[in-house]
Amino acid sequence: MPSFALAIPAWAWLLVFFVAPVAMVVWFSFGYKPGIFGTHANDVLSFDRYLEALSPTFFTTFLNTLWIGLAGTALCLVIGLPVAYWMAVKAPPSKRGLLIALVMVPFWTNFLVRTIGWQVILAPEGWLSSLLQDLGLIAGPLDILYTRTAVLIGVVYNYLPLMILPLFVAFDRVGTPLREASKDLGADRWRTFARVTLPLARPGVIAGVLLVFIPLMGDYITATVLGGAKGNMVGQLVASQFQTAQNWALGSAMAVMLILVIMVTVAIGALVVWLVTLPFRIRNRLVIGAANGGAPAEAPAPARETQGVAS
Amino acid sequence: MTLRQARGPRRSWSDVALNVWGVLVLLFLFAPIIVIVIYSFNTGRLLVAWNEFGFDGFLTLLEKPAIRDAVWVSIQTGAIAALVATVLGTLAGIAMARHPGRWVVWFIGLLLLVSVTPEIVDAVALLPWLVFLGQDLGIGLFNDGIVRLVVGHSLFSTAVVSYIVRARLVGLDAQLEEASADLYAKPFATFRRVTLPLAMPAVLAGFLLSFTLSLDNTVIAAFVQVSGTTPWPVYVLSALRSGLRPEIASVSTIMLVLTLLALGLVAFVLRRAGDSATQIARTMTGN
Repeated sequence: MPSFALAIPAWAWLLVFFVAPVAMVVWFSFGYKPGIFGTHANDVLSFDRYLEALSPTFFTTFLNTLWIGLAGTALCLVIGLPVAYWMAVKAPPSKRGLLIALVMVPFWTNFLVRTIGWQVILAPEGWLSSLLQDLGLIAGPLDILYTRTAVLIGVVYNYLPLMILPLFVAFDRVGTPLREASKDLGADRWRTFARVTLPLARPGVIAGVLLVFIPLMGDYITATVLGGAKGNMVGQLVASQFQTAQNWALGSAMAVMLILVIMVTVAIGALVVWLVTLPFRIRNRLVIGAANGGAPAEAPAPARETQGVAS
Repeated sequence: MTLRQARGPRRSWSDVALNVWGVLVLLFLFAPIIVIVIYSFNTGRLLVAWNEFGFDGFLTLLEKPAIRDAVWVSIQTGAIAALVATVLGTLAGIAMARHPGRWVVWFIGLLLLVSVTPEIVDAVALLPWLVFLGQDLGIGLFNDGIVRLVVGHSLFSTAVVSYIVRARLVGLDAQLEEASADLYAKPFATFRRVTLPLAMPAVLAGFLLSFTLSLDNTVIAAFVQVSGTTPWPVYVLSALRSGLRPEIASVSTIMLVLTLLALGLVAFVLRRAGDSATQIARTMTGN
């Protein structure tokens, strides 16, 4: 019996219901819509659907999605990083389980329901609107719902737990001894955070950014509930080609484009981060090198940091 | 941590700021959930406009068979999808932990691909595929609403269960299984009496997580569902187009309680198996 025999059922299941369908969509994307009643045809193959997907009408939506994806991920990082640090480092250990549970509950609440919650909050006739009007902060009813701002609030809200949890795990793993050592060696709080804690938590930052950015780009629900006509995202385009327009060829090309855009953006992002941190890494080489190496990191790292602090 | 506390109760402004920020963000995270729970007691005609406190929304649920049916479809689908994902994922997780080799890299690659592919892509890919299997190839099974939902909901869950089970077994070394083999247990007996019990907390947690994942799945469900077997999130999604009424919030509140019960059970199972809060957090986010 081959060693992977036990994994064969899962292999087969995923091949039949994941790989094959996705491959079929890729195949459809080279075809065309044959008439009003047909959904797809593949007797003539071309890249025309991709050109169509990039035509001005749809290209705006791709740009819009990319903007929301990048801004949303950045906001999640800025908002989530202090929270994760607070949970892992500052909060009393006895309360840690409770805090994790508190972040987990929204994460596991139905995505659609949470988003509808924001629709209720942001609605012009809702309570937040009347509260702000009573306080005299805004003149007319709240005018956020069905705009890009509403979608941005929605995605930041919906994906924030996916940023906080991996960051929490990463900060937690850095552990108290290293920070204590850094402080004992004369580094102040900020220096300890910037030179010890944050570099060692880098895997968590990377995981968080990817966990937020990738699903966010493919989001369909948030934009549908909060975006209206003004806050369109690619997910809706794809969905409408399959559901209303019945143009499976174009919808498939859009889906493939979406994946390509995500991959290219992640690659460019990785390159930019690599280039920007290059000088910093050369200076701090030993510390970050230890984080990369994994196993031998724990003990020698504080000693290495001494050199950095002393220099 | 004890060292830090030994230095006395001196609290800097940055600590205070972090505390305030943390509490504010937690409030932000709970805001729409609290709103939904409160508005499920709205007696108004429309969800958004608050009228009075009352139980009308919940009473409507009893009268409207459509919502009840939708919840029942979701629960059936959730149970079956969780079962499928748990069986497949457990076997795969055990294989990865106990029979490592080059194939594991490929397999994890596939699981990773399954977990990062945007749900909307899975959804639009499964729709024509299921039509192909059900109508073009004539496999009647794939025209059944529950079967289609189970297939769609099981994909991501299979990956999640595989990760969790593998992570647990990699953490426990294989001595017990070797001992069992040395004592002349047949491979299957070792599997059933040693490996499976070792993996059990992860298997249970995986089952419950898959159940809640399926219960909440909206995007894939919206595409693969056939009329007559509509799960509750898809019902809510269609209600969005025709105007939201308070009973939507009521059914959401009930489902929220159900999800919380399942999650509480997961935490309980993992706690009893000796996991720390951090480990539980990692298990529940699948990394």
